[in-house]
Amino acid sequence: MLNAIIVDDEQHCIDRLTELLQRHKDSIKIISNCKTIEEAEQQIKVTQPDVVFLDVHLNNATGFDLLSLLPKMDFEVVFTTSYDTYALKAFKFSALDYLLKPIASEDLENAVQKIVHNRSLKETSQKIDVLFHNFKDGIVQPKRMAIPTVEGFTMIEINNIVRFQSDANYTHVHTVTNKKVTAAKTLKYFEEILGSHNFFRIHKSHLINLSFVDNYIKGKGGYVTLLDGSKIEVAVRRKEELLKRLAF
Amino acid sequence: MSDLTRKTFFLFLFSFFSLWSFSQKSELDSLQQELSLYVKRDSVRVGLLIQAVSTMTYSNPSEAFPYVEEAIAISSEIQWKKGEALGLRQKGNLHYVLADNLNALDAYQKALGLSQTIQDKQLTSSLLSNIGNIHADLKEYDKALENYRAFLTASQSLGNVPNEIRALSNMAIVYNDIGNFKEGISYLEKALALAQQEKNDLFVAAITNNLGLAYKNLEQYPRALEHYQDAAILAQKIGNKYIEASALNSIGKVNVLLEKYDLARENGEKALLLSKEIEAVEWQADSWKVLSTVYEQEGRTAEALDAYKEHIQLRDSVLNEEKKSELTRKEMEFQMERQEAEANEEIKRQQLVKNGYLIGAILLGLISVIGYFLYKRRRDALEKKKVAEFKAKVAETELKALRSQMNPHFIFNSLNSISDFISKNDTEQANEYLVKFAKLTRSILENSEKKWITLEEDLELIKLYIQLESLRLRDEFKYDIKVDKDIEMDNTLVPPLILQPFIENSIWHGIAKKENGGQINIEIKKEGEMILCIVEDNGAGRSKNMPANNQKSSLGVKITGNRLDIINQAKNTMSSIKMIDKPEGLRVELKLPLELQF
Repeated sequence: MLNAIIVDDEQHCIDRLTELLQRHKDSIKIISNCKTIEEAEQQIKVTQPDVVFLDVHLNNATGFDLLSLLPKMDFEVVFTTSYDTYALKAFKFSALDYLLKPIASEDLENAVQKIVHNRSLKETSQKIDVLFHNFKDGIVQPKRMAIPTVEGFTMIEINNIVRFQSDANYTHVHTVTNKKVTAAKTLKYFEEILGSHNFFRIHKSHLINLSFVDNYIKGKGGYVTLLDGSKIEVAVRRKEELLKRLAF
Repeated sequence: MSDLTRKTFFLFLFSFFSLWSFSQKSELDSLQQELSLYVKRDSVRVGLLIQAVSTMTYSNPSEAFPYVEEAIAISSEIQWKKGEALGLRQKGNLHYVLADNLNALDAYQKALGLSQTIQDKQLTSSLLSNIGNIHADLKEYDKALENYRAFLTASQSLGNVPNEIRALSNMAIVYNDIGNFKEGISYLEKALALAQQEKNDLFVAAITNNLGLAYKNLEQYPRALEHYQDAAILAQKIGNKYIEASALNSIGKVNVLLEKYDLARENGEKALLLSKEIEAVEWQADSWKVLSTVYEQEGRTAEALDAYKEHIQLRDSVLNEEKKSELTRKEMEFQMERQEAEANEEIKRQQLVKNGYLIGAILLGLISVIGYFLYKRRRDALEKKKVAEFKAKVAETELKALRSQMNPHFIFNSLNSISDFISKNDTEQANEYLVKFAKLTRSILENSEKKWITLEEDLELIKLYIQLESLRLRDEFKYDIKVDKDIEMDNTLVPPLILQPFIENSIWHGIAKKENGGQINIEIKKEGEMILCIVEDNGAGRSKNMPANNQKSSLGVKITGNRLDIINQAKNTMSSIKMIDKPEGLRVELKLPLELQF
């Protein structure tokens, strides 16, 4: 049995989540509801919960503000939010769980399952670290990201990623240190969150970091050689855009 | 005062260029005979022609022109520059003899140019001399000296001493003419030395006579007499009566000045005899003048008067001649000036024309540059306007597309449905509906900023939308989505929710009116470089409910039409919408370009 706290400034949201969690009453017990970060801070210190359902927007503050007030992170966090692209992006970079409001019962079930079966507080605090790190430097250009893997996740400096290569529903991440990480996400997932970084999808199976492009070899679509020595085909339809991005 | 001297020298000057002047009538005849036989236009005929012209130069100059012109023309044809130069020189001679100095000078100059290009020194030097003579005649002393000096240098380098003497003598005459007697004497002395060295008595006599005149002009009478006497003796020795008569007359004049009348008379009478012998009127006049003065001093007034009358009479005739020649000279000068003025005028005119052209060209260039810039600016402005218009259309259409997708009717109908579910206490359904509605709304908002999404994603959205509507209408209709196998769903791009307005039409205006058994079929097929999207229903069709719902249904179609226009414009494709009325229901065919992501 896990003890949970719901932090949300709107009563109907608390009620809704409470109702939805009724189905999981065997595994999760709600011990407290809080409407402000001060109240929540107090409750967390006193009750030592296992899980916190945390709304991103809390009146004039954010859920992140609450976390920064706490000296240590010894609980799981599930963020809830209605519509906030920046926050969503931040969650993706840190591979944190989040629920979109109105909360779909399937989504909640998935989140609860994950918490019950794969609990790892160490991971969570690291993920929160990444989240804070990225927030501090401005949400738009995060420096680190948590890459979900089959086993768990791996923290990687974005600037150290040379390229991604898709392999069915998995993606191989190649870093500058020749480390290869297999992510449990599609290439499209990475393309979406790294689009505003210097990454470019040159092929159905390849997403590359343009900073590592060494050469472009002419051809129908052509090839690029990267600084790690790899030679990667460019799709015909991506050639023009690629050359534009490389400013040839 | 120097007329006499110049006259004395004139022969001297001329003797030089009339190379063939010792002509004979018979020689000309034989030349003409040869010319009529030898008709080939080559250097031989040129030689014959020039020879013929030179024999005619003094006897019949005006009729020699056709010959000389032919010689020049042939030489020019066969590109024999020397022949052309010789012809031109001969032509100059003809003009000179006819006292047409201007044309003579022109011909000589042309000949000089040619002879210099072929580096014929002999010819060049002769032409320099002739040109110098003409300038001296025209009293253009600077130019005369310049040419004579060149002539002198050329003669020296050729080792032609007689020509050297001629050059020096002629320069001396020019100096004497401009009153620089000392310089004149120095040149005469040089010429004399050379003439003596050459043992050319004629030259020595003539030069000595000129020296006498120079000293007389310097009023050094004893030295003048000395030279005149030497000249007279030498002239007598070689039988040159011109020089002898001139010298004797001069001795007479000097003796008159020295009041030695006996000597004056003696020489004057001798001179008169000789002058009469050679029919030299000028010399006779001079002699009579000397004699008249002498007779007057001796008190023989009657004889003095007669002599004076003779003198006046002869002098007048000479003066007439001189006046005539002076007039000719003046006329020539005038002509030359006029020609020069005309030439200057022409140069100015041409300069003006040139400047005009230049200014014109610059103006034209400037105008075209300005024109181009104005044109470019206008074109750019138009282009910009077009781009801006296009962008505005894109933005407007995007917004409208979003609004049509987030149709208020749809939103409020959804909310009403939720309300309905709640009032019926069906919270489960209300919840499901609400979550789907939220998910669809989120997706529409997210995708509305994208121009293209994958067919896979788009069909997910379409499915969500249809499910929502199906839930609202309590499963009154069924739907089916078919995609051709040869279409790669995750690699094919379509504009987000492009089919939604047609599906909405089918549901709201087709199926909703039907009691039950509604069916919507969506089919995606590949057709060459296009994809064909079909939305088909078995609903009420268009015609029955046209008037009432015309506006709404056409709005969605209109927006889709605009979206397709933008695609067509940007991608140069032929997207289209076709609406086909069926006996029951409506079929919409939408053609889009096949866009692949990779």
